Amino acid sequence: MNILKQLLEFVSYRENIDREGFILKETKDDQKSPESSDKSTKNQKTKPRGRTFKKPVRPSDITKKNNTKNTQEYYETTSSSLEENRKAVGKLYGLPDNKDVVIRDFMIGTSDGVRAFAVFIDGMTDKTLQDFLFQSLMVFAKRPLQTGKEKLAGMVRESLLPANQATLKSRFSDILDAVNYGDTALFFDGCADVLLVETKGWEHRPVEKPTSEQIIRGPHEAFTETLRANTALLRKSIRNEQLTTDIVQVGERDRRYVAIMYLRDLANKDLVAEVKRRVKSIRTDSVLGGGILEELIEDNPYNLTPTSLVTERPDRVAAGILDGRVALIIDGSPFVTVVPSTMYEQLHTGEELYHRWQYGTFIRLLRALAFLLSFLLPGLYLSVVLFHQEMIPTELLLAIAGARERVPFPSVVEVLLMEFSFELIREAGLRIPSVMGTTIGIVGALILGQAAVQANIVSPILVILVAVTGLSSFAIPYHSLAFSLRIYRFMYIFLGATLGFYGLAMGLFAQIILTANLKSFGVPFLAPTGPKTMAGPDIVFRLPMFFHERRPDYLNPQDIKRQPKVSRGWIRQNGGDDNS
Amino acid sequence: MMTIVKEGTFGPAEAIILLAISSSARMFLTYPRSLVETAGSAAWLTPLGGLAVALAGVYVMSLVLKKNPDKSIVEITEEAWGPVIGTVFNLVTVTFFMAVSALFIREFTEALIIAALPRTPISVISIVFISIGLLGAYLGIEAMARSARLSYLYVLGGIAILLLALIPQWNIHNLFPLLGCGPLQVFGAGAYSTAAITEIILAAVLVQSMGGADKFSSIGYKAMLFGFGLLFALMLTLNLSINKEVAEEISLPFYRLSRSIYLGRFFQRIEAIFVIIWSIIGALKIALTLYGASVTLARTLKLPDYRPLIWPLGLAIFIFSFLPLDMPTAVRLDFEFLRPYALLPSYVIPLFVLAAFWLKGRGKRAGS
Repeated sequence: MNILKQLLEFVSYRENIDREGFILKETKDDQKSPESSDKSTKNQKTKPRGRTFKKPVRPSDITKKNNTKNTQEYYETTSSSLEENRKAVGKLYGLPDNKDVVIRDFMIGTSDGVRAFAVFIDGMTDKTLQDFLFQSLMVFAKRPLQTGKEKLAGMVRESLLPANQATLKSRFSDILDAVNYGDTALFFDGCADVLLVETKGWEHRPVEKPTSEQIIRGPHEAFTETLRANTALLRKSIRNEQLTTDIVQVGERDRRYVAIMYLRDLANKDLVAEVKRRVKSIRTDSVLGGGILEELIEDNPYNLTPTSLVTERPDRVAAGILDGRVALIIDGSPFVTVVPSTMYEQLHTGEELYHRWQYGTFIRLLRALAFLLSFLLPGLYLSVVLFHQEMIPTELLLAIAGARERVPFPSVVEVLLMEFSFELIREAGLRIPSVMGTTIGIVGALILGQAAVQANIVSPILVILVAVTGLSSFAIPYHSLAFSLRIYRFMYIFLGATLGFYGLAMGLFAQIILTANLKSFGVPFLAPTGPKTMAGPDIVFRLPMFFHERRPDYLNPQDIKRQPKVSRGWIRQNGGDDNS
Repeated sequence: MMTIVKEGTFGPAEAIILLAISSSARMFLTYPRSLVETAGSAAWLTPLGGLAVALAGVYVMSLVLKKNPDKSIVEITEEAWGPVIGTVFNLVTVTFFMAVSALFIREFTEALIIAALPRTPISVISIVFISIGLLGAYLGIEAMARSARLSYLYVLGGIAILLLALIPQWNIHNLFPLLGCGPLQVFGAGAYSTAAITEIILAAVLVQSMGGADKFSSIGYKAMLFGFGLLFALMLTLNLSINKEVAEEISLPFYRLSRSIYLGRFFQRIEAIFVIIWSIIGALKIALTLYGASVTLARTLKLPDYRPLIWPLGLAIFIFSFLPLDMPTAVRLDFEFLRPYALLPSYVIPLFVLAAFWLKGRGKRAGS
């Protein structure tokens, strides 16, 4: 029979009931939505022309709701019973499913032998520190218990544990925040207070060289992903007790620390208050990096141009803070945001100050030219070739015409083809694994350069043009600004190809007026030229350091004076003895 | 004082540049030719008479604005002449702005077709112009003032290159006879023509954004000196470079001048670069007059925001710009209709307002 059944299975069709496999079913929240949409359709019946809006729910409310459902509500504060605390921790962390949370039971070595347990997350803590901590409590704590059990945590902090940071907390939210961030929580039997000991020690990248903002002179340090390392890098740059670090937690699900750093006696108080107000008001699940925070706090998120400066170099941030700006450091991001920021500042690298002033000025003028070329050059070429041929001297015109003669495409297609290919190389070059990096060079140089010209797909002059545009774009030091100009470039290609110089002029006017309308934390983006404020020595031209007497006027710092009229005391007849 | 949303404020430097650049926009059209027709070889002297009239106009306007330093000319006119006549006067100003804008768009569009885009449909150029005007007016006077402040150096640089590159073509004999068509034509008709292109009324509408009535006269005088200085320099170059008989025949004299630049084989025929400068000035002028019309109308109707008016006014201006049959009609309308009309809001109505205040004051004194 069995053999017959197997034979039948070979020759007959059988439905595979498991064909669909795993299906992600709708959650309760999603299942609710049809009901609400039913309601809205009912409403629409009564009010046919009106649109019904579902009031958006804040992420904080969602979290609160979820937490109410779970455990947070029941475990708000710690209890004096070790068992209850242990149960609470187990529930809050989802033990035993959650495998990287460790609960370590132990006895304190005091004469009475008090039971205790430690909670920490494996991998987030420094094991050497923890060994030292347990040694102190279990091996070296031989003294008799002098106080009652209810004050045990305080006693341990004061006399048994030589940790550099130890605090007493009794709210579970504080305890979880600390443990999630690498601290160790110590629960003692009979004591409602919990001792939080600083044992942060996760794997992290050391301070390395900047990768996207390389310079020749000046410090070669870059920020890392660790908040405290970054704040320390800034502390190291600005040795001043007025340097203040305010830490705000942002995000509902991923509670991330954002440090706001400024000089207390220099930064405009209203500016600091506004930065704090904006950061504290953010309600979202998570702010993973500087770009997300930037978008959530900037004045004009719809404009292409960035209105805050993001850098990985501590010396640039320090220079900003010393001018009266505010720095925002997000835990986990190796980039620091500086606000307010102006366009001129975004075209600086800070390196001009480390060079002699003449070289700095030369570099800036070169960069100003690169700035214009990076978005205007292809559009200009198209305008000249398509509309204003009379502008080109005859010999050059003949050269261009000769080169273009064998190319079957219209100029605009040719330009778009090259620009698109260049953008592809740029993007691919960024994403390609470094072991295959040389491929990009071969593809870019040989295929797109030489081969395209030889195949009469593009004219040689266009290859030069696209290369110059690309080089100009790379010469812009701020990546976000260069990105915005890359997009503007395509608009100018369209305008130049359709309306010639008139189109370019209209585009320029629109871009100027849209940019002039921007504000970065109350400071006009084109300050100090639009609007005109006091001209500084460090805008387009970089004048010698002894002229840098005032801080930027548009930042309205508490102290505008940077140095006295005569900063080089030695040029005075008395040798500058009274200059100190 | 009634505040209007997004009116903004800007400094005296921006105000002077904004007004001067706006008043100089006309120079790149057929306007210089009409001055040559009026005054012949002495066309370059016509701005002197116009400047005197314009300075007097600024003085009269400053007297009017000081009657109520917290308000603009719109509210002061209404205060002086009551809600009915005052509103009529204000509507005259709104219509003036619209007429300037419409004729300017038409003339500029036609000029662009001649100079740069001979095969592009006129509507395309016009639509782009009015769109940029709408954008500028929507973003507000603060952004426009800043843009003017940012671009004026390039504009002046371009004009300076134009003037200097023409030096090889200067001929001092073109300036003779020194008084051209006679002193009456030069300082009478010439002054009438040049005084009409000032932006006194625009300054009076924007007075609160420029820092109030106290700063009006200083800004006004400087803007007039700047604008007329520019006109003087350009007209002198025109007279020096081309003799009057030829200049009278050219519809766009400065386009012609830029075409005739020849400084070696590489640096020649740079008119296309001037298209960029002209277009930027033109766009600024259109945005500014559209803004002026919208704000004046919003203030007249006591609306809290001018921006809803931009679109209907812009559309009306766009349609009006197509009413003249062709470019000569537009130029004739400019000469025969707009120039006398321009005197009304800039010079006549302020005098009427002053007269009303004077009569009121006399009535009060007689009553007391």
